[in-house]
Amino acid sequence: MNDGMTLRGGWNVEYNYAVGTTGKKFFDALIEKKIIAPKCSKCGLVMLPPRSFCERCFVPAEEWVEVGREGTIQAFTIVPVKFESLPEPPYAIAYVLLDGADTALVNFIRKVDLSDLGAAAKKLSIGKRVRVVFEKRRKGTINDFHYELIETGQARRQRSKK
Amino acid sequence: MNEIDAVVYSMGPSEFLGVNEPDKWCVDAVGGRDKPFMRIHTGGATGLSAAQAGFHHVAAGLFDAVLVVGADKVRECKDSQQVLNTIWDPLYERQFGLTTITMAAFQAVRHMHLYGTKEEQMALVAVRSWGNALNNPVAHLKGHITVDDVMMSPYYCWPVKKYDMCPSSAGGAAIVIVSGKKAMKLSTRPAWIRGCGEVANTVFLGDQMGGRAQMDFADSDVLAMAATAAYRQAGIRNPVKEIQVAELYAPFTVCELSMVEALGFCRKGESGRLNEEGFFNMNGEIAVNPSGGTLCANAIAITALARVCDGALQVMGKAPPKMQVKNVRNAVCTGEGGSFQFHAVMVLSADYY
Amino acid sequence: MSHRVAILGVGMTKIEGAKKDQKLDDMVFEASSKALADASVTREGIDSVVISGCDELDGRCISSMLLAMPAGAYLKDEIKVTDEGCYGVILAAMRLMTGLFDLSLVISWCKTSEAPVSDVMRMRWDPFYHRGFGMNHITSTALMAGVYKSQYGIPMDIPARVVVKNRKNGARNPNAHLQRPIKLSEVRSSPVVSWPLRALDCAPESDGACALVLASARKARELKRDPVWLAGFGWATDSYYLGGRDLSKLRSLGIAAGMAYGMARIKNPLKEIDIAEISDFSSYHELMVYEGLGFCRPGRAQDLIKEGLTDMEGVLPVNPSGGLLSSNPFTASGLFRVCEAYLQVKGNAENHQVQGVKRALAHGSSGFCAQGNAVFILSR
Ligand SMILES: [Zn+2]
Repeated sequence: MNDGMTLRGGWNVEYNYAVGTTGKKFFDALIEKKIIAPKCSKCGLVMLPPRSFCERCFVPAEEWVEVGREGTIQAFTIVPVKFESLPEPPYAIAYVLLDGADTALVNFIRKVDLSDLGAAAKKLSIGKRVRVVFEKRRKGTINDFHYELIETGQARRQRSKK
Repeated sequence: MNEIDAVVYSMGPSEFLGVNEPDKWCVDAVGGRDKPFMRIHTGGATGLSAAQAGFHHVAAGLFDAVLVVGADKVRECKDSQQVLNTIWDPLYERQFGLTTITMAAFQAVRHMHLYGTKEEQMALVAVRSWGNALNNPVAHLKGHITVDDVMMSPYYCWPVKKYDMCPSSAGGAAIVIVSGKKAMKLSTRPAWIRGCGEVANTVFLGDQMGGRAQMDFADSDVLAMAATAAYRQAGIRNPVKEIQVAELYAPFTVCELSMVEALGFCRKGESGRLNEEGFFNMNGEIAVNPSGGTLCANAIAITALARVCDGALQVMGKAPPKMQVKNVRNAVCTGEGGSFQFHAVMVLSADYY
Repeated sequence: MSHRVAILGVGMTKIEGAKKDQKLDDMVFEASSKALADASVTREGIDSVVISGCDELDGRCISSMLLAMPAGAYLKDEIKVTDEGCYGVILAAMRLMTGLFDLSLVISWCKTSEAPVSDVMRMRWDPFYHRGFGMNHITSTALMAGVYKSQYGIPMDIPARVVVKNRKNGARNPNAHLQRPIKLSEVRSSPVVSWPLRALDCAPESDGACALVLASARKARELKRDPVWLAGFGWATDSYYLGGRDLSKLRSLGIAAGMAYGMARIKNPLKEIDIAEISDFSSYHELMVYEGLGFCRPGRAQDLIKEGLTDMEGVLPVNPSGGLLSSNPFTASGLFRVCEAYLQVKGNAENHQVQGVKRALAHGSSGFCAQGNAVFILSR
């Protein structure tokens, strides 16, 4: 396969990333359809993705709180092109500040018509409310859930219920 | 080479090249054998961090002449974004197809949301850069393009389009840093390193938006912190008046708009409009990326080092004729790495004091 | 040195085979927190963070993205040097010597349990002339050991005694990965992994992180500390191409040691240094390091072992901690050596403390056949 000017070669190196006790606790909760987050004992920051310490205060974060299953879009993008080994396009991803959390968490945002990028981008704008939808079969990974937009009428209904 | 006391190797992620720790491979090619040799790697900021490390070698009083050098061939891998997906966390982030382009898209949507920045304003950054690059014989991409060309180019991650992005390039760069005494002997017009700063932010984008964010991902606030340190060392009080050239590591158009604000060239949210008014043009208040910058060439390991090279050439009056800005006393060079989290700044000056 | 650099404290995690209960950043946070506590300073006071690691072993193509924060670098001046952790000490020291910084945190880590170390090492070879032969860190170390052995006619018992010595020391170090002392006969009967190296001649693969707090002399005075001083350091690299090297010698180690000794004004290392913590990737490698460091003439390291001069009770105990043959968090190993040397000078090494240590040497190494070497002299 060599053309004389280049030599083909591969990488193919596989890893076993340790999840750690903090990560395990978070992933175990996902199986139970709960999103839990560590809270800084000093400044009270509720952090997602979970970590074992607060970067700002530099103290361990040992307390856990459950965060809400709805939140607000803080940033998003729509990917219409194919990259090697990355998800099949088109897909939308968003950073969502879940109610009760202090930092936004990225995930897919599904069930949005992505055929017209401009129209889809309008639907997904910053400030829009989304809900967490858990997958039927959960394996204790970050893909155990995704986000879906809460349609405006629906959001109002749900908020008034509370 | 006999006069070089130590070598700093500028090398970012090695996965594009497909050789682990290629610094070790390249020791012989850069004359590092038998010498103190170390590799600096801070992602995209690598070249600027390496230049700072070289400066520290000399400023510590240990060496008189240090070579800072590197090379990269980003195109030797199949898809650089496949590699760049692995900068993200394997437990919480990689699964969502995150790349550096998605990262730029997140910054762009927030800049648009907070300041009303338009896609056309970002496009204009590419137009200016490609035009400037026409004057730079070593730029990878160059040409007369229009805002329409950028706007019509395909979306990669909305709102980031093809021409909003840097290319994957191959190239090398090097600088020689010497002590003041040696510089006086060797050159009548060296570029003096007058200020350095480098600040790290959290890796997590989600910590920088809404909630209890201490800074917004739209803004390059840590760049502002690094610049403050560098300006203080360099005695720069009014960057717009005192700096004539900025060579910035801005791999996406939105990054440049965010960065010129952080560098104190204008207030937050003003960069789009000032850019339209020609403020950052070759003959504007501050010439931003006369070389065409990162949008026109990105051999990642040395791109930020190339910014230092181009800044130094401007200060020394040795830039290619049409690329040279007139009467440059101070140039600011930057590097940006990781999740737009590492920002490094160097101020180069024609004046010793 | 015009501007002196002080070490105020160190932090080390326990070194283990596989730290599954800690994600990479958890492990780094533990080490940096311990170092800050040991130095009695807070993160707020730190103005320079220097981190060091190997992306390819971390399985992240810019691993400092995750690890800068557990290293305490949030909104701090931070820089990363690769790959051996001890290079972080060099860069941090130079930064302090410029007078621009006063208090620095240096951190390194390695989780070999997460990475296919052999594959990662194979990928260090260039794809054109070397990679096709499947050479990794073990086989290349063996290549060097083979050349050294035949050049000087090293009897098999000598490297085996190095292993016994280090494992005996490691048994007294609660932080070590392998804590079981072993017998000469076990080394002799362990299987050959790559001639002439037997399994027990080689360092294990371990997980661990460690950190140091360095300060300018000005800051150390201001804090009224009784620090350990970094009296000298030196580093150098050799060629990548083994074919052009004399593999019986560690040429770049000699240059690095020369620089460090010059700075620390050491003329006779065997006499003037009280203990040494060195990076012994294999038993043979330890012998070669003795010679590179000028403890003896080329080929005579075997005499030091025969006479027990580098035992705990000898004139120059080498690796009181057990060295790499007891614990090897790969690219962090050199920084662990500096931490251990600090403990010895400070008198805090507990069960593996050597009495009356005034001056200690630490050594780190990286690359195939110890291409790069760094040497540190710590003193009272
Ligand atoms: Zn906190």
